[in-house]
Amino acid sequence: MNWVGLQMLRNDRAKFAAMIVAVSLAVFLMQNQAAILATMLSMTAAQIRDVQDADLWVTEPEVECFDQVKAMRDIHLLRVRGIAGISWAAPLLKIDAIGHSEGGRLNTVTVLGIDDASLAGLPHRMRVGRADAIRELNTAIIDPGGHELFFPGEPFQEGRSLRIRDRRIRIMGISDIAAPFTGLPMLHTSRSTAAALNLGEQHMTSFILARSAPGNRPEALCQKINTLGGLRARTTEQFAADAMWFYGSQGVPMLFMITITIGLIVGAAITGQTFLMFIKENARPISMLKVVGTTDRQLGTMILLQGTVVLVLGSCFGSGIAAAVCNVIRTQPFLRSLYLPWEIALGTCLALASVTGIALYASYRHVRGLEPAAVFR
Amino acid sequence: MTPLDSSAVHCTGIRKHFGEDDARVEVLRGVDYTVRRGELSFLVGPSGCGKTTLISVIAGLLETSSGEVSLFGNHLARMPHSDRVLFRRSHLGFVFQQYNLLQALTAAENAAIPLLAAGVRRREAVDRAAALLDRLGLGSRTAAYPRQLSGGQQQRVALARALVHEPRLIICDEPTAALDHATGEAVMELLASAAVHPDRAVLVVTHDSRVFRFADVIAHMDDGQITHVEPGRRTDAATHLGSSRLTNPSA
Repeated sequence: MNWVGLQMLRNDRAKFAAMIVAVSLAVFLMQNQAAILATMLSMTAAQIRDVQDADLWVTEPEVECFDQVKAMRDIHLLRVRGIAGISWAAPLLKIDAIGHSEGGRLNTVTVLGIDDASLAGLPHRMRVGRADAIRELNTAIIDPGGHELFFPGEPFQEGRSLRIRDRRIRIMGISDIAAPFTGLPMLHTSRSTAAALNLGEQHMTSFILARSAPGNRPEALCQKINTLGGLRARTTEQFAADAMWFYGSQGVPMLFMITITIGLIVGAAITGQTFLMFIKENARPISMLKVVGTTDRQLGTMILLQGTVVLVLGSCFGSGIAAAVCNVIRTQPFLRSLYLPWEIALGTCLALASVTGIALYASYRHVRGLEPAAVFR
Repeated sequence: MTPLDSSAVHCTGIRKHFGEDDARVEVLRGVDYTVRRGELSFLVGPSGCGKTTLISVIAGLLETSSGEVSLFGNHLARMPHSDRVLFRRSHLGFVFQQYNLLQALTAAENAAIPLLAAGVRRREAVDRAAALLDRLGLGSRTAAYPRQLSGGQQQRVALARALVHEPRLIICDEPTAALDHATGEAVMELLASAAVHPDRAVLVVTHDSRVFRFADVIAHMDDGQITHVEPGRRTDAATHLGSSRLTNPSA
């Protein structure tokens, strides 16, 4: 009888198509919005997670995320280095400045000054060029979005320069880091160069990166550092989570959730209403099936299968479109971090299936309540 | 064999009402009615006299308010709902006035529905239905959809659906009402030749007096009661004539 149900569904092409389109659009809308939200939140922690050689971040106590900078004196670096169990500790200076390209383009840039000696915090992956070229004074590597912004459509040429605070900074390569949440071009340079750009403040740092020595738990070392007073130490994942929570609590996710919820409700309502209409319009054939001895269980299975086919096809189309759109958007340098986690793809499909399941149940109850004798009228 | 043993349908004192108090309508008012095995029995009467309600009660689709219905010695009212459905699936076949074919299925697939409901594999069910359609003169139209068939052809598909699982009682509700005279006669001839069997009964509800000659027994009903029963005029000659005329697929 399941086959009969599928044939009935296939035969009503208009409603079948309407239901699949409704599910597809709802799934696409939910996945697209959820992916943007997830990407935005992950971007708030991208610069933290990009630093793979350190497992501890030390900041001023008030700092909640990477984009909050409160300068610390270098003396704190020595205090951290003095903790037993710390393998090494290095400064990371972060400043924002205005950059000018040779072509006259101007934009605020984020400059990250990396410890000259250890190069701790240097990007591990490069698209073009060598990262360690920044050891040379007044050189930097730039992220893909920054390169596109200052040199739009042009291929990379080593040695082209940006003028920042009256210094000419030569670009030696393009890093392959995640897109920053701020959308600003990201320059990695040596701390010496960054300090020179920092209006003469030579003995300050924004973050202290540290590595736990083998056999030491990073969480335990954080507690030790926190007892020093005036410092706040977190593991990379704790700091990333704090950053995401900080931005997540600003209200932006709520706006996305509203859109996602609208997608869910509208998609489920259209799908459910159309399915219920499909069942009601087929009341007479279904009554006939009941008369000839089709059981309620068989009819229930039939409805479940019809609903499942609609949801699976719609979810596949919707997810496919969402993934395709995501891939197209990712080609833009500033949106390169956009991704569609499988958890979101699965979760949105299940959410829609759950809500649409109410309509399927209502349809089943309608079928159960159908008076088979009505077929004689 | 006692009268009850020889009966396919045995109704005693059937009463059925709808609604309560001021809205209460008595539709069946103590119906006693018997259809014997091997009999083609007509239930006739004016519209609204309770014919459809009576066949719904006989088929176990409606509960009686009082009285008993026995089909081949089985009391449907005493069965659990699920058993009643299974009994109907195995032992009853139905032909409706409006055919009630599924537009999504071909003629053979429509005729195979009772077998599919019983769990017979699709290929086997459709093959058996196609073979029956061939015997009913629709061998060349088994792959046609209902919209591609004439009214008479659709009713033959419906008849095949009623026969395919070899039920013991076939209930037909106004099978000729939506057909013109010639086509209606052809369908009745087919019903008389293909459905009547010594161990099977056929109960036809109709008010089409032109086809009364096909009946073995005609029960007249009015105002919720059987008013009188008279013998019909069905003959073997008519049956044989019918079977020869039924092979005209355009009917």
